[in-house]
Amino acid sequence: MTGGHRFWPSVTKAMLWAFLCAMGLLVIYPLFWMGLGGFKSNSQIFSDPFALPESWSFANYLTAWQATQGYMVSSLLVTLISTLTTVTISAWTAFGLTRTEIPGKPLVVGIVLGGMMLSPTVALVPLVRMLQDYGIYDTHAALILLYTAFRVPFTTFLIRAYMLDLPRDLDEAAMMDGASPGQIFRKVILPLCQPILISCVVLHILFAWNEYLFAMIFTNSPGVQTLPVGLTSMMSKQGTNFAAVFAAMTISALPIVIIFFLTQRYFIRGLTQGIGK
Amino acid sequence: MANLTLRAVRKSYGTMPVLHGIDLDIAEGEFVAFVGPSGCGKSTLLRCIAGLEDISSGELRIGDIVMNHVAPAERGIAMVFQSYALYPHMTVFENMAFGLRIAGRPKAEITARVHAAAEKLQLVPYLDRPPRALSGGQRQRVAIGRAIVRDPQVFLFDEPLSNLDAALRAATRVEIARLKKSMPGTTMIYVTHDQVEAMTLADRIVVLRGGHIEQVGRPIELYRNPANLFVAGFIGSPAMNVLPARVEHAGERSVFRLADEALLHLPLQMSESEVGRAVYLGIRPEDLRLAAEADEPLLQGRILLIEHLGEVQILHVDVGAAKETPLLVKVPGTTQLDENMTVVLAADPDSVRLFDAEGIAMRTLRAESVGC
Ligand SMILES: Nc1ncnc2c1ncn2[C@@H]1O[C@H](COP(=O)(O)OP(=O)(O)OP(=O)(O)O)[C@@H](O)[C@H]1O
Ligand SMILES: [Mg+2]
Repeated sequence: MTGGHRFWPSVTKAMLWAFLCAMGLLVIYPLFWMGLGGFKSNSQIFSDPFALPESWSFANYLTAWQATQGYMVSSLLVTLISTLTTVTISAWTAFGLTRTEIPGKPLVVGIVLGGMMLSPTVALVPLVRMLQDYGIYDTHAALILLYTAFRVPFTTFLIRAYMLDLPRDLDEAAMMDGASPGQIFRKVILPLCQPILISCVVLHILFAWNEYLFAMIFTNSPGVQTLPVGLTSMMSKQGTNFAAVFAAMTISALPIVIIFFLTQRYFIRGLTQGIGK
Repeated sequence: MANLTLRAVRKSYGTMPVLHGIDLDIAEGEFVAFVGPSGCGKSTLLRCIAGLEDISSGELRIGDIVMNHVAPAERGIAMVFQSYALYPHMTVFENMAFGLRIAGRPKAEITARVHAAAEKLQLVPYLDRPPRALSGGQRQRVAIGRAIVRDPQVFLFDEPLSNLDAALRAATRVEIARLKKSMPGTTMIYVTHDQVEAMTLADRIVVLRGGHIEQVGRPIELYRNPANLFVAGFIGSPAMNVLPARVEHAGERSVFRLADEALLHLPLQMSESEVGRAVYLGIRPEDLRLAAEADEPLLQGRILLIEHLGEVQILHVDVGAAKETPLLVKVPGTTQLDENMTVVLAADPDSVRLFDAEGIAMRTLRAESVGC
């Protein structure tokens, strides 16, 4: 039978497809359900949880949008600025760790990357005292500072791994061309690190947008609180209006989903290239 | 002025010495090749000259200026890397213009100089392409172009052709020779594994081993009169045959006894006090020939293997004198021979080189009278 040897590979392929579809469904369905919930009335969520909305009403989304607008602005501000500071600082640090001669370099590398082991929870109490002393408790600056400080080690780790793989000849060629270390960094190394920089930006946005612990502890006023904290306070206030809560959650998740889909190709490329070879 | 002077240049990595005191003078406009086995320090020496490595001790001068602590870019040097090291995110034009832009040259000048170099290297159609859209040979030319644009006094090459296939390598070699001709005032230093490149391109060859200079000289000098057995074995392919022997009888024509007791009569002047001394005889494969009627036979042996290379064939002949290594003989490809045949070999006695037990070349009467 000539068809025989074609049969099993296609069955395997079909099974793989079925498995991947099931996995996809498992991840997407709750999100989809949440988004749909935003269009329903509160009573329909309970009476008919799996049905489509009776009437497609944007009322909940409108309420949610108005309620979350302030938090959204805070989140945007904190996320954008801390992404910029984290990735910039990490890239410089990684360049220093891979391209300059520092006495006792392994120790320095160990200390910087050891920062990844630090659990945020352990540091909470001293951090509260510190930020109060600095007078930035309950400000955006507090969150930006913390997010940067806690994410620099991990981001440096990723960029460093990538930079180690870049051939040294390029630095040397640039050196022969008369470039200073700063110029080598900006004109040669940084452009070549673009894939991993994109990955780091996406990872940091994901982190900063969703971070809850620091945001809850270091901010009080509604004008400073970010989306995750805002959503919980909304839940406690409008605890019974699930439709509005669903709508708010959907709104807050949307930017991340969009960013991820736009950048996933580069995101994955950066990470795999850093590890590979 | 672009003459280079190296005085007792040493280089160590940590406690491991790599260069053990290099003394070398290179004249302005000279083309010098560094050759030697892998790991002998060729690249290290080149990188010390370029300024990519610090010199541990000793002095490097270019012109009259001590360059030990001068930044690479200020030495008036350009380097072509083995990997080419082209900036992958820039076009060919930007690659070539990078150094000039860093130096802050005016735009018009940059464009003019890059175009002049591109024309010289037939790169004009590729100026807007990124390096990954070029063939190996084209990348090679861009790397050379990037160096030319800076108008260096000294040009350094680290095995520039080793990533090219054989045909392209031969073609690029000719191009480098032409490039050298077009820049008569520029000093060039060229590191290579390939002795054909060294022999054909260089005005002088520097043979390195284990961080020492073994010999410096014109290619033909090194080939004809190697200073020691190492150079004799390294320059020339296939390598020079080396036969251990003992001085049996001294005089105008001396007699040497080979390991298998055979006696060789050679017109080499030895003194009476040297009788009994252990020496090595060196004969190049092409200096041996199948003995004709009129020839004085030198050696006799059985053919173990024949390598046909087209215009020539290399015979591996077991003469018993050098047990492990058969004698190599280069004869015309048209000669009809078979393996296991016994052949009688002859050589022009003048072509035989004599080395002492330490492998250092011994001066012979003939060699002196010729003036080498
Ligand atoms: N950065 C370094 N640290 C320690 N040792 C080094 C370093 N670079 C080179 N060496 C050592 O120095 C010696 C000379 O190296 P070099 O690269 O100059 O050899 P080479 O003659 O260019 O060899 P090849 O023909 O294989 O390129 C080698 O033994 C090498 O192991
Ligand atoms: Mg080398």
